[in-house]
Amino acid sequence: MPLLAVEDLGVSFRTEDGVLHAVRELSFSLEAGATLGIVGESGSGKSVTAQTIMGLTRGASLQGRVLFEGRDLLTLPDRELRRVRGAQIAMIFQDPLSSLHPHYKVGWQIAEMVRAHTGLSRRQAHRRAADLLGLVGIPQPTRRVDDYPHQFSGGMRQRAMIAMALALDPRILVADEPTTALDVTIQAQIIELIGRLQREFDTALIMITHDLGVVAEIADDVLVMYAGRGVEQTDRESLFHAPHHPYTRGLIASIPTSAVRGERLKPIPGQPPSLIDLPSGCSFRPRCAFAFNRCENERPPLHPVGGNSSESAVAEHVSACWLPELEAGAPSRRSSA
Amino acid sequence: MSVVIAEVAGTPEPPGGSPEVAGAKIAGRSPRALAWARLRRDKVALVSLGFVVFVVLVAIFAHPLSQLIGQSPYKPDRGPNGLSPSGIPVGPSTHHWLGTDDQGRDILSRLMFGAQVSMIVGLAATAIEIAVGVVVGLIAGFYGGKVDSFLSRFMDVVLSFPFLLTALAMSARFGNHLSITIGVIAFFSWSQPGRLVRGQVLALREREFVEAARSLGSSDLRIMFVDILPNLIAPVMVYGTLLIPVNIVAESTLSFLGLGVTIPKASWGQMLSDASGSGLYQVAWWFLVFPGLALLLTTLAFNLLGDGLRDALDPRFDRIGKG
Amino acid sequence: MSPRATAVEGVTSPRGAHSTSDDAFVRVEHAVKRFAIHGNQLFRRSKEAVHAVDDVSFTIRRGETLGLVGESGCGKSTLARLVTGLQPVTSGTVVFDGQEITRLSRAQLRAVRRDVQMIFQDPYGSLNPRRRVGSIIGDPYAIHDESRGDERKRKVQELMEVVGLNPEHYNRFPAEFSGGQRQRIGIARALALKPKLLVCDEPVSALDVSIQAQIINLLADLQHDFGLTYLFIAHDLSVVRQVSTRVAVMYLGKIVELADADELYERPRHPYTAALLSAAPIPDPDPARRRQRIVLRGDVPSPVSPPSGCRFHTRCPKARQDCVTVVPDLDAVTGSSAAHVAACLHPVVDGEDLGAAAAVIDQSDQAEIPALEAIEKITAGIARSVDDQGSRA
Repeated sequence: MPLLAVEDLGVSFRTEDGVLHAVRELSFSLEAGATLGIVGESGSGKSVTAQTIMGLTRGASLQGRVLFEGRDLLTLPDRELRRVRGAQIAMIFQDPLSSLHPHYKVGWQIAEMVRAHTGLSRRQAHRRAADLLGLVGIPQPTRRVDDYPHQFSGGMRQRAMIAMALALDPRILVADEPTTALDVTIQAQIIELIGRLQREFDTALIMITHDLGVVAEIADDVLVMYAGRGVEQTDRESLFHAPHHPYTRGLIASIPTSAVRGERLKPIPGQPPSLIDLPSGCSFRPRCAFAFNRCENERPPLHPVGGNSSESAVAEHVSACWLPELEAGAPSRRSSA
Repeated sequence: MSVVIAEVAGTPEPPGGSPEVAGAKIAGRSPRALAWARLRRDKVALVSLGFVVFVVLVAIFAHPLSQLIGQSPYKPDRGPNGLSPSGIPVGPSTHHWLGTDDQGRDILSRLMFGAQVSMIVGLAATAIEIAVGVVVGLIAGFYGGKVDSFLSRFMDVVLSFPFLLTALAMSARFGNHLSITIGVIAFFSWSQPGRLVRGQVLALREREFVEAARSLGSSDLRIMFVDILPNLIAPVMVYGTLLIPVNIVAESTLSFLGLGVTIPKASWGQMLSDASGSGLYQVAWWFLVFPGLALLLTTLAFNLLGDGLRDALDPRFDRIGKG
Repeated sequence: MSPRATAVEGVTSPRGAHSTSDDAFVRVEHAVKRFAIHGNQLFRRSKEAVHAVDDVSFTIRRGETLGLVGESGCGKSTLARLVTGLQPVTSGTVVFDGQEITRLSRAQLRAVRRDVQMIFQDPYGSLNPRRRVGSIIGDPYAIHDESRGDERKRKVQELMEVVGLNPEHYNRFPAEFSGGQRQRIGIARALALKPKLLVCDEPVSALDVSIQAQIINLLADLQHDFGLTYLFIAHDLSVVRQVSTRVAVMYLGKIVELADADELYERPRHPYTAALLSAAPIPDPDPARRRQRIVLRGDVPSPVSPPSGCRFHTRCPKARQDCVTVVPDLDAVTGSSAAHVAACLHPVVDGEDLGAAAAVIDQSDQAEIPALEAIEKITAGIARSVDDQGSRA
């Protein structure tokens, strides 16, 4: 049984202009200790997925199941969910300044969380907080444990967040764009830190990002999301070397490192669709160079499209596209909207 | 629910911008149209707007309306329909729908003319306050530094004048003309929108589109009026709507004290003064209740309308398009 | 060097030569921008100052794209504003097309503004939400009193077409456009007065990856069609490499390296550049795992009190004793072409592995990756404390 199994997850919000489908029919699983990268751009639904796993979207209408060790988190009563959150599944957010409370000392925040889930005394928890800060590489942790968040730099705050997340040795760590707001050199530090701690604590990691480079570094398996749906899922190697879904291919082709310097880049034309009013059939169809009749009438489900390397955790390479298996040829092109 | 999106789904999805939530679909709807659509959904605001319009119409057409019902606000009815044999006002009847006052004058028509006074003073004073406040606030907020210090202190000083005492003094000096009343009221309150605007401008001038305007070579004056001012319309409109009832009550207060509109002209505050001062309200409840209700309902309607406007114009909701 | 960058009508720039005063379109010399930090608001006595830009000199050649990279606090945005005249320099000079703009009056500067325009980072903030798009793009015409009425509208709609927008959306508000489209609006606005120099301050950083490529292509096309010169600022190294002819790297207010784009990326000489290049994640699983990454220690220091000597010495993998005291000049480096300069006393030599380097000086007050034993100790400690309390789930 996988550690986490998301089955047919749907998350929608009611807005003034209609129902917004942030996530639709999303399914994936995560084994213990593995790393899953969720890649998508804005509007893909990746952050909402993460928040739903943590139970932070209770105001929305939810469908499907999120099974953690066999129990459905979506229907768990609040009290039980609170025990899971933080202790079993922890989350780090993109902006540590807004996730750490500005009025309380960092050490105190970590200690309080530890105490909420364990029976440690205040002093023990405080010492544990200092240990954790040292664990994540903050210099002079016994002194810094009594500092406020604004006294930390961006990179340090993110480290403190990681410390708080790992404080209770959770089984799953969900990282929602943890490095996007950081400088490149700090980003490298944090990615390496997360990777190393993950291996040492044997925590499963869900890394949510828009950056394919981050995914290439740290993920075992990758799920690509577009307009609220999963459109491709496979192991890291296959994703980069044999992508199937035209969106994945387009994404990889559009980044500057794929191009020769000085030549034009190959962007994906158009823009992502409105989540209130999705196109019929395949959501990517209006921007797809390979679309044909079936794409407009039938929405393709995720189905197997080819073999993977054996070390992958995901059973097979799946893609939500009507194109034949890993066809590298040039099917009919149509002018994109 | 929309707020939930802004907080939950709209977690900054960087470096991307808009999650295209409402963007592509709602193409063609200007902020004004969106705000109006939101306002239309707010029942309370709509009812309040209706009532306000009603009051304004009554104020405008007070004269023809009172002629229509065959009454006059000034002519006392000394007959049995107007005053009882012992000189006490007559209650609501078929002759005088809302009864009469201590002089036998018809209350309904007096209320209508009182609405005229309230609306004129309320709207005129508010207009002056907004105009002066916006200009001062714009200059203070935009230039900052010494200019701002000076103007802010000036606004603080104005705010610290005691209203009634000064109003008393000014009325004693200048008399009881309607324009004096408007002037007095406006003088005390212009610094409120002034401070509001100053705060808004302080924030707005740091926005990137102001820097962009500068980079194009735009002059300070142009930036203030073409770039910043349009962004002030929404908060100023809301604030103005909430200022109107304040000014109406201020006028009523002055009239109540005999400093505003004087007999025989009708004003709600003055009617209240007559009713309570003469003690007649004990036997003629209509004399107190109807002017009081008029004041209460009008004030309430403006306040509720202002709230509704704020919800409809709230910039927070504008951000749904960009998460 | 990109053929596009040089294919400007009638203008060619010599390759790899020292820029002489003839082909320097923009010349910045010893520019300094100092911001005072007011210790006490009431008394306004400035106790400290931030040298956001500290003695920077460089040139931009006509028709080229000079890329400017650096992390937060390096001063690249401030430098951009010095070049466009949006901020006055504290000292130093900026010469644009033969004319010194640093001492100009506001009125005189206004005339220069026609030739130097800026594209901003935030597509949501750089457009006035209460104004219609046609009015926003037409603003330059209004400000400089050019074209009125129908003619202005026609010109604005032409610009909209040039940048890939539908001219019928003339009367829409910014909120009705996507991020990429808004950026196009900003570009259209910048092009209205036919500028010669376009300063792009992180023009694609706030956009989705697939949209970034659209805008980068657009900027390249415009440069080709209109003979523009670009100063392109970004923190994304791959984007900068793609668009730039030459690239300058900034750190804490100073330029630490400047070279042709290819040469900078293939053979960086400054350890910071090398670390920057190595830190950027590569979207390819194989090199990502295999390469030797140089992970710097510690955070970017605060620009308020920068380190002494070479400012990078607190984080440099090969810092030596003289790095603490001597401020290096931007000089040519042995082994690289003459136009390749770096401010380093001990530049990276060919074949050197910085990942294995060790600093000679003390850098202990920096955050680091923890040692294995430390991790094991804490893991055991946590497991113990959770076990002691029994299962609380």
